[in-house]
Amino acid sequence: MNGVNTSIRDILYEEPGKKARRRIAIGTVISLLLLVVLVLMMIRRFYDSGQLDSKYWIFFTKSTTWKFLGKGLLGTVEVAFASGALAFLMGLFMMLGRISSFAVARIISRILIEFSRGVPTLLFIYFFFLAAPQFGLKLPAFWKISIPVALSAAGMVAEVLRSGVNAVPKGQTEAALSLGMRKNSVFFKIIFPQALRYVVPSMISELVIVLKDTTFAYVVNYADLMQNSRVLISNYDALLSVYLVAAVIYILINYILNQISVAITKHRNVAS
Amino acid sequence: MSIYELLTQFGDKYLAALLTTWKLTAISFTLAFVIGIVITIMRISPIKPIRFVGDLYVQIFRNIPGAALLIILVYAFPYLNFVWSYYACVLIATSLLPASFCSEYLMAGMNTIGAGQIEAARSIGMTFFQTIKNVVLPQALRSSVLPMTNLLVATMLTTALASQVPLKPTDLTGIVSYINTRTVGGVTAFMISAFLYCATAVIIGQIGSLIDRKVRILR
Repeated sequence: MNGVNTSIRDILYEEPGKKARRRIAIGTVISLLLLVVLVLMMIRRFYDSGQLDSKYWIFFTKSTTWKFLGKGLLGTVEVAFASGALAFLMGLFMMLGRISSFAVARIISRILIEFSRGVPTLLFIYFFFLAAPQFGLKLPAFWKISIPVALSAAGMVAEVLRSGVNAVPKGQTEAALSLGMRKNSVFFKIIFPQALRYVVPSMISELVIVLKDTTFAYVVNYADLMQNSRVLISNYDALLSVYLVAAVIYILINYILNQISVAITKHRNVAS
Repeated sequence: MSIYELLTQFGDKYLAALLTTWKLTAISFTLAFVIGIVITIMRISPIKPIRFVGDLYVQIFRNIPGAALLIILVYAFPYLNFVWSYYACVLIATSLLPASFCSEYLMAGMNTIGAGQIEAARSIGMTFFQTIKNVVLPQALRSSVLPMTNLLVATMLTTALASQVPLKPTDLTGIVSYINTRTVGGVTAFMISAFLYCATAVIIGQIGSLIDRKVRILR
């Protein structure tokens, strides 16, 4: 479902002839039937186990339910933006170190990037949840989830930014230097703004990863979409329906973000 | 606690945890790879409903948070009379999620194959499946070594989900909370796990770029 992907699909086979068209038609009918059977079997499962009972779904017609879920979603979005902004700042510094002319800065940044990319988010969360309080670092739940999520995204952000910087043609640096600009102002006034433009789609994909990682907020008891879903579950004694709805909300948000990223890439490919 | 104390007291536990993480990673990655190939073939098939199911799979599993999927598998599915062990639930989650990314990488790899090659294969009379098997997949696989290396590391990071359910032996993330509930493990307990994760990631990365240099198609 991605602009680049459709192209390979369309060249794989030529315009089908009479015979192939018939075969495709037969295949379409058979696979459609199978699909319908599969969906019916799934509905049957729900029905047989009593999960289609109206008591599991009726509260979704109440506005309070959606208000509560919306509040949780707001918590999720807040954490995602805080982590995203933090990850961007940390990633920026790591990237600057990585391309710096000082060997020490390069090595340190390299280690930090590998560390950030090689350690699972959950381990970072456990660090801020279990280890940090032991030496007196007491943070509110919001930061207990935002900082670890940001830490685990920062390394990737640094690498994405670096790929953006590398994508700016070398000639521009040379031209700017030959005009007498200083190295720093060449980077910040000419290279970096363009690099930033290049990496916008990848940054949006990175935001999706951050958003997905924020679901671990339940570990630190922060009221995000997942945590509020749990409260709903205990209020209405309806586990399956609430978790499914929450999952669909997550999938839709991330899907939209990904589509925005694809749209920007496509728009650029047309423009250039 | 010092690193020495931690290792004498919990050394065997760390080793078991490392092996659990490695095992989960290996199994999940293999499954993800197989599912990813199947899904990719579905996504390029000329039959629309099959294509749709492939696309739907990718959109669902690349966008659902791992924690949400695992929670649904462990706590919600029993309501539908699907009852699986914790271990099975973790494996299902850590295989289904990377499989969608695997398919995305394979699709991207395929896009590097020119239209001319496919037209050439067709004009010498290859069927669709022959073209896929002999022309498209070998090249797509070769040019996706580096993405697959990243996928393997990502799969390893995904297996940290295992710490969210009671497993015996626990994985590298679970062991940190295990130690911290028994004694003051502090930063060291965390650092040992982090180091083992990073070391694995770096080794995988090195092997990956070695293979990539061998099989990469220079265009």
